[in-house]
Amino acid sequence: MKRRDFLKFIGVGAAGGAAGFIIGKVSKPPGAKLIPYVVPDENIIPGVANYYSSLCTLCSAGCGIHARVMEGRVKKIEGNPLHPVNKGRLCALGQAMPQVTYNPDRIKGPLKRRGAKGTGDYVDITWEEAITIISKNLSDIAKSGSADGLYLLTPPQRGNLGALIDSFLTAYGSSNHYQYELFGQRNLYFANHAAMGLANAPHYDIENAKYVLSFGADFTSTWMSPVHYSAAYGEMRQAGKGGRGALVQVEPRLSLTGANADEWVPAKPGTEAILALAIAHAVVEKGWAKGGDLDGWRHVLAGYKPSVAADLTDVSEERIYAIARAFTHTRPSLAIGGDGVSSYQDGVSGLMAVNILNHLAGNNGATGGVIPNPEPAIKRDSAVDFKRRISTLAADAAKGKVKALIIYNSNPVFTTPVAAKLASVIRDAPFVVSMSSFLDETAVYADLILPMHTGLEDWGDDAPEPGVGTRVMTIMQPAITPYYNSKGAGDVFLGVAKQMGGRLSGLKANSFAEYLKDAWRTAYSKDRQMSASALTFDEFWEGALKRGGWWPKATVEARRQVTVSARSVSAHLAQMPARFEGKDTDYPFYLMLYPHSAHRDGRGANLPWLQELPDPMTSVVWGTWVEVNPKTAARLGLKEGDMAAIESPSGKITAPVYLYPGIRPDTVAVPIGQGHTQYGRYAARRGANPIEMLPHSEDARTGAIALNSTRVKLSGAGPSNMVKMEGSTKELGREIIQTAPPDGRSES
Amino acid sequence: MSVLNSIGEKLKSYRVPGYYTKFDHRWGMVIDLDRCNGCEACVTACYAENNLPVVGEKDCANSRAFSWLRVERYVEGEYPDVKVGFIPIMCHNCAKAPCETGCPVYATYHNQDGLNVQVYNRCVGTFTCATYCPYDVRRFNWRTYRPDKPLDEQLNPDVTVREMGVMEKCTFCIQRIRAGKDNAKDERRGVKDGEITPACAQSCPTGAITFGDLNDPQSMVSKLALSPRRYRLLEELNTDPSVIYLKRVAKDGSTGTGE
Amino acid sequence: MNSLSLIKQLIALVIVGGAAFLIGYGVNITYFYDRTPEQPIEFSHKIHAGDNKIPCKYCHLYVERSRVAGVPNVQRCMGCHKIIKTDSPLIQKLTSYWDKKEPIPWVKVHNLPDYVHFTHKRHIKAGLDCSLCHGDVASMSRITRVASLKMGWCLSCHEKREVKNGKDCWTCHK
Repeated sequence: MKRRDFLKFIGVGAAGGAAGFIIGKVSKPPGAKLIPYVVPDENIIPGVANYYSSLCTLCSAGCGIHARVMEGRVKKIEGNPLHPVNKGRLCALGQAMPQVTYNPDRIKGPLKRRGAKGTGDYVDITWEEAITIISKNLSDIAKSGSADGLYLLTPPQRGNLGALIDSFLTAYGSSNHYQYELFGQRNLYFANHAAMGLANAPHYDIENAKYVLSFGADFTSTWMSPVHYSAAYGEMRQAGKGGRGALVQVEPRLSLTGANADEWVPAKPGTEAILALAIAHAVVEKGWAKGGDLDGWRHVLAGYKPSVAADLTDVSEERIYAIARAFTHTRPSLAIGGDGVSSYQDGVSGLMAVNILNHLAGNNGATGGVIPNPEPAIKRDSAVDFKRRISTLAADAAKGKVKALIIYNSNPVFTTPVAAKLASVIRDAPFVVSMSSFLDETAVYADLILPMHTGLEDWGDDAPEPGVGTRVMTIMQPAITPYYNSKGAGDVFLGVAKQMGGRLSGLKANSFAEYLKDAWRTAYSKDRQMSASALTFDEFWEGALKRGGWWPKATVEARRQVTVSARSVSAHLAQMPARFEGKDTDYPFYLMLYPHSAHRDGRGANLPWLQELPDPMTSVVWGTWVEVNPKTAARLGLKEGDMAAIESPSGKITAPVYLYPGIRPDTVAVPIGQGHTQYGRYAARRGANPIEMLPHSEDARTGAIALNSTRVKLSGAGPSNMVKMEGSTKELGREIIQTAPPDGRSES
Repeated sequence: MSVLNSIGEKLKSYRVPGYYTKFDHRWGMVIDLDRCNGCEACVTACYAENNLPVVGEKDCANSRAFSWLRVERYVEGEYPDVKVGFIPIMCHNCAKAPCETGCPVYATYHNQDGLNVQVYNRCVGTFTCATYCPYDVRRFNWRTYRPDKPLDEQLNPDVTVREMGVMEKCTFCIQRIRAGKDNAKDERRGVKDGEITPACAQSCPTGAITFGDLNDPQSMVSKLALSPRRYRLLEELNTDPSVIYLKRVAKDGSTGTGE
Repeated sequence: MNSLSLIKQLIALVIVGGAAFLIGYGVNITYFYDRTPEQPIEFSHKIHAGDNKIPCKYCHLYVERSRVAGVPNVQRCMGCHKIIKTDSPLIQKLTSYWDKKEPIPWVKVHNLPDYVHFTHKRHIKAGLDCSLCHGDVASMSRITRVASLKMGWCLSCHEKREVKNGKDCWTCHK
């Protein structure tokens, strides 16, 4: 190389380097910003977390929570250790609360429909416009003399929001407050009221029971108050007071609770009520019964001889007697009737049978048994309205009675069978308002969508149901300022009342927060136990906000004694196995539907954490599956992961096959939760919704929708892309889960 | 020469089994399998606390899901005699951790709290530790995962967000341990038993998980660890894990899940 | 010299020049960051902390309680400047932020990466003086960073002071 060329290179190199350096200097992105508060919030120390006591709103159990908040953003939800329901623990669904609040698919402001119903074509409006539209419509309806044409559909309301809604409706002139939830336990309320006169769900004292006989109650996973019962289950197993409690589970498909049971009784689907009555028969026959009136019981139970029931139920006579013996001789014992017995068309009968068992074993009112709850601390008309049900709503709509429909926090189009025709009810109603945080299958038919605060942004309160044997009131308080332009439901009703005036002028509170505090002030002044707990209301209120609510300090409350009389139950007993739609020759399998442990009735399907949470029993993620017994699958030529077409007389879905040894060969099971067509990017167009296969079959007494009501047939439909997280389900001798013999103290 | 000798002495001291007893703490966990019902509340708690990314259906199918803590389920037998067992498995923070011997860049080591820790900044992603781990608890960032906005508002500021090419695993919620020690220091005292709980133990609905200091004989974990039901997972591998399980109680005493 | 070799030479020059450009750019980005960035308001620590001897903690409120020292909120600035020196153009700039209820977008001078766990509280409670890391702020009219904030810098101090577990990775990494 010539010297001149070398210098050229040096020169170019130096120039390039210098240019790079200078451009680097000039183009450097501006440094990170340090943004101060304009006005400091006294409660916020940047970098230090604040904890707010509040209420979990993702299911109806009513657990108390602590929300960990840093710089105005919720970081984590944990159970409130002081709260009597969940004692500091929390389930997967509850912990996913921040993903509801910060969900990318949340509706960011009020919307008004522009395109056709169901297309999801909406324009943004302001809250003032939204309130005006509602007020105008409601005024017009009232003026035309059909105020009773205002229908309101909400989940069961137990707090003061329900009180506000009811006074709004009463003042307006409508009586149509429909309280609907797929797993709302209407049958349980009916059965307990008819048999024992209880208006509220009793406290099942699993913690102190030594023998729990559960009829399809998946109480450690989804049933009623799963966190409370899970805590009790842990104590029952290992708290050491008088040895380890035993659990016997009666159900055709092993649930998570069943998988933990000491004994699994796979009775034939639809015969659980008969099995329970046969056990009761055995108890009376052998003279193990308590509580007198044996002749009456003999008469009522005469048709349920164990020898006859054995054929019907697929449970041997010896086993029925063995269970009867263990149930009456292990003290204390407890029978629980869950979705497994109550989800039939004649669901009440199974729960009646369970009530009889508890009565005959002397479990009612006993520690470790069924304990009636005290009156809820929040005074509300707590009796369930059995007359207002999905079928009557559809019938009223068909008659043109529905003039306006306001749906709050409920997705009935997804959770009711297609045959219930709720989609067309909502599509055809003249004026539909959806108060929902998400564009779900129901909201998509609404004329007006009002985005709601999530539980972390709103005020509210709750009296947990089922109670825990003592009075509990939980307060929900905002942990953060609203992230979007949303409102609380109470504020919407108060806003409409204010604008309409007239007969609604009685609702004067400026905000729901004020309404709530006033309601608590009234409760405090009237209730002796409450006023004894603090000197002034302000002190009481502040303490309640800190603790997360109010509950008396470990008081012994007088326990009501309840009995079940032979006469009161005799009208409600099963005469024969439950009815299933479809002939067994055409549709050889019973279909069992159960709530997905994290998505429940589908509400959790839009939360990515829960989509990626493996199902505890199958480890499947991001989709639906159908559980088939390996022998049945072999007979049908189905392999694991094959797509199966599942067809009932009412509908058809496809789902991948999961080979599941814990299910009867004549039964297949599909979880509820997936198969959304709307509801955001994580939920929509994923899996299948098995509710589509159901006929619209309700218990005639209660209106509860029967989930176990049809037979199905199964056929291969090509390959699938089922994703499951498990490797092998076998230990292959590696002794991963080791077992110990019982310590000898427990008796079962 | 004396320098060499002192280094030699030090090395020898580290070779004595149980030398970790000289450390400040040995954080450990006792999991009662007779209480555990397999509900996986702990798994979600872990996702929320530790900024674990959601990887989506496709990456799940490729076994790239991030759960630092998983609940394994074993099903033995055929209908109707089916036995099911659940066991939560997270990093066992082994005192003789196989993963530590493999890392070429010392990204995983034992610290003074008896924790087996992973240093993200050192990790170059050779995957050696995950290969050596008998419990399959290490997770690799195959991509840089970021939550859809505004889900990132929830991210825990006490835990960093990892990037592509880095191995990670359960830390026993080291940020909670640090916070607990920080509080104790503010009040000029030692850490109290039960004061520090990782997210999984905090959330467990059945109360199956207990956390504490195994070096402190008065701690709850130390007491539970003396139970006749105690065992450690794959004990024959001699990894000396800090996670101790309590056996499930079988009703008839003869058979468990692994008949 | 024919045209082919000329093209070859040109290509080589471009490659050398480009490589040098990238190196220069990289060196700047990595090593020559701005230690004294321009701030939205020419705030002078010299006047406040130096001349008027206002203690650090009067404005950096949270330094004893939190991991962050806290940059003073606008209300705190206005607490004094409603009265003091209201005729100065800088204060009028401050007042305009206050009137609009907007925060002042200060530029961060001491910026730590996301994976570092640093808490002011622990260091202040250990009795360290602010100036140990932040330099003689009282003499700076525009704040400048005197420490490198590199890991070696942290560790050298931890080692010198024999901080318990001060060299463990997870003491400062998260």
